[in-house]
Amino acid sequence: MKILVALKRVVDHNVRIRVKEDGSGVETENVRHSMNPFCKHAVEAAVQIKEQNKAKEIIAISIGPIEAKDVLLNALAMGCDRAILLKTEKEQKIEPLAVAKLLKIIVQQEKPDLVFLGKQAIDDDANQTGQMLAGLLDWPQGTFSSKIELEENRVNVTREVDFGRAKISMPIPAVITADLRLNVPRKTALPMIIKAKKKPINIMEAKDFNVDLQNRLIVERISEPPKREGGKILNNVQELANIINELEAEK
Amino acid sequence: MSLTATQIISSLEKILDENSIIFTKEKMQSFLTEPRNRFHQPALAVLKPNSISQLQEIMRFANKYKIPIIPQGGNSGLVGGQVPLYGNELIVSLAKINKLRELNIEEGYILVEAGMILQQVQNIAREKNMLFPLSIGSKGSAQIGGILATNAGGAQVLSYGNGRELCLGIEAILADGSLYNGLKFLRKDNSGYDLNNLLIGSEGSLAIITAAKLKIFPRAKFYETALIGVKNLNIAYQLFQQLVKKAQKRLTAFELISRFGIAIQIENKLINQDFISLQSPYYILAEISHFDIEEKEILTQFFEIAYEKNLINEDSIIAQSMAERNEIWQMREQMSESQKFAGASIKHDISVAPKLVPELIERGIREVAKINKNIRPCPFGHMGDGNIHFNFSQPVKMEREEFLSLTKEINQIIYDIVLSLDGSISAEHGIGQLKIDLLERVKDPTAIKMMKLIKNSLDPNNILNRGKVLKL
Repeated sequence: MKILVALKRVVDHNVRIRVKEDGSGVETENVRHSMNPFCKHAVEAAVQIKEQNKAKEIIAISIGPIEAKDVLLNALAMGCDRAILLKTEKEQKIEPLAVAKLLKIIVQQEKPDLVFLGKQAIDDDANQTGQMLAGLLDWPQGTFSSKIELEENRVNVTREVDFGRAKISMPIPAVITADLRLNVPRKTALPMIIKAKKKPINIMEAKDFNVDLQNRLIVERISEPPKREGGKILNNVQELANIINELEAEK
Repeated sequence: MSLTATQIISSLEKILDENSIIFTKEKMQSFLTEPRNRFHQPALAVLKPNSISQLQEIMRFANKYKIPIIPQGGNSGLVGGQVPLYGNELIVSLAKINKLRELNIEEGYILVEAGMILQQVQNIAREKNMLFPLSIGSKGSAQIGGILATNAGGAQVLSYGNGRELCLGIEAILADGSLYNGLKFLRKDNSGYDLNNLLIGSEGSLAIITAAKLKIFPRAKFYETALIGVKNLNIAYQLFQQLVKKAQKRLTAFELISRFGIAIQIENKLINQDFISLQSPYYILAEISHFDIEEKEILTQFFEIAYEKNLINEDSIIAQSMAERNEIWQMREQMSESQKFAGASIKHDISVAPKLVPELIERGIREVAKINKNIRPCPFGHMGDGNIHFNFSQPVKMEREEFLSLTKEINQIIYDIVLSLDGSISAEHGIGQLKIDLLERVKDPTAIKMMKLIKNSLDPNNILNRGKVLKL
């Protein structure tokens, strides 16, 4: 079995996000980036399957600026075998549909049995790429997965859904997107980092793929959420009761 | 004339409102129970003044009637400085004197009142993309006043310095209630004695710190953080030396952690089961701060070379995101507290020259094993500045009390080694009531004499933290 894992480089989720003054977006210059956390779960899932000898090769792919090489290196250090980078311009934004179309071409070239993605990226929270890719390929999809079990020519996926968990069974090939409960991604051991640097990363230009990369959406304005007012420590229950009464009275 | 407890309370009720005086046993409990659960004296009452002027009034009253006062911050001290010794003291909590007075990014300082919690100071600086670098395990409860009174250090002393070095000025109330204003900061100011530095580290025995002007720094753009398995302590020191040479001031932490310390945390599910594979006797937490995102990685490359030279072990990990960095630091910060899970422990907070750290630990472990080879050593700490928390956990099959009865004997062994290496018997936790005899025994007699003269003249009635730091 061959697995393709698609991953995205995003602003590190522990970095304090700052909205640009003109409201056109968030500050990404001079800010620490790392692998989208959901994608990390997708990589971990693929590596675990390989460790159980159920997969022969894992290919990591990312679409983004040259710096996305770092997150591919991270994926290689976690246990992927080789990587592909479809390079874009530094500030270029690519919408989920274009990403899905590019991924479709790579899927057709590499012919993986499973494609893993994070359920969404924490920068635009679109939650669309996996679904669009499955649609374009006409493959079944198991989104928001918290458990993946392989059978002969089939894959069973437990999905995290609003009303609980749904278990589905799909024929292979299939697209699977990872949720946080799927696994605990491993820490990167130093010897693996050294090994990763010797693994191949094939870099190609995204614009050479004959896919329309034009954005359809226009971002009108991005603004910060309203500031939360700080709490207050009260001296006794009576003070609390008084406040509740006041609030009730205002209603 | 001395007052009865009832008279004292009713006098205080004229100064403070009823919510600010606590004298029932249950309500005082959280002010009396300290982290190590070693000191169990009651207090006459706990006072929580709302303002500097209320605190001044309390001091004037206490000084007049010679009532012992214990200033208390977050009650996270480890040597009993902040809790009663005699049982008749008044604890004065600074918790309500906790305002932000000024934040000045251009000049790089924050002026806060003593009761502000460390983590809040860190957060205020963080909001402005600045860093207040002092950080200790108890950052969620420790207050600035207590931190300066004990000159706390923590993990970033290596490049930013301890409490004293991070403090540009203080304001304090003396035993007689007068207010000392040392908040003015000038690069050049040789106008008499340096009183700020006298009060910082005096553990509440000379004055009560009420506000402080603290240095803040530009925040690093990114960190390289690694947890490295080493075969022995000499290699750990070698790596430290080489890394300092390479990274200089950017090396912001070089911490040593024993395998046992991480193992307890894994066993008790304080950290993830597969946090690290634990093949090494010691681990190093090293961190480099980068102030430009374009800067090339130093740490990863350094340890890659060390690994190829077979100096470090396979179980070394390098954080790939801030989340992973935070997880590693969380493990380090839980070290002190997590030892509870291994039963009773006998602790030493000591320092020697960094190059003597391997000798200190090896000799200490060897000597203590002679008492009982099942005692479990748990040394950890700031290898970069030579400050080691040299702790010992009880043998698995020994009664708690039996182990604790060895305290004196084990203390003696460790302190003798420290003194033979020209080290300090109290690196960052202070003297409090725990080490008062020890200080008398090991400190230069002239230094002790000077300290007593200072104490007697600033606090002639000996009301401030009576019976702590110095034996009068």
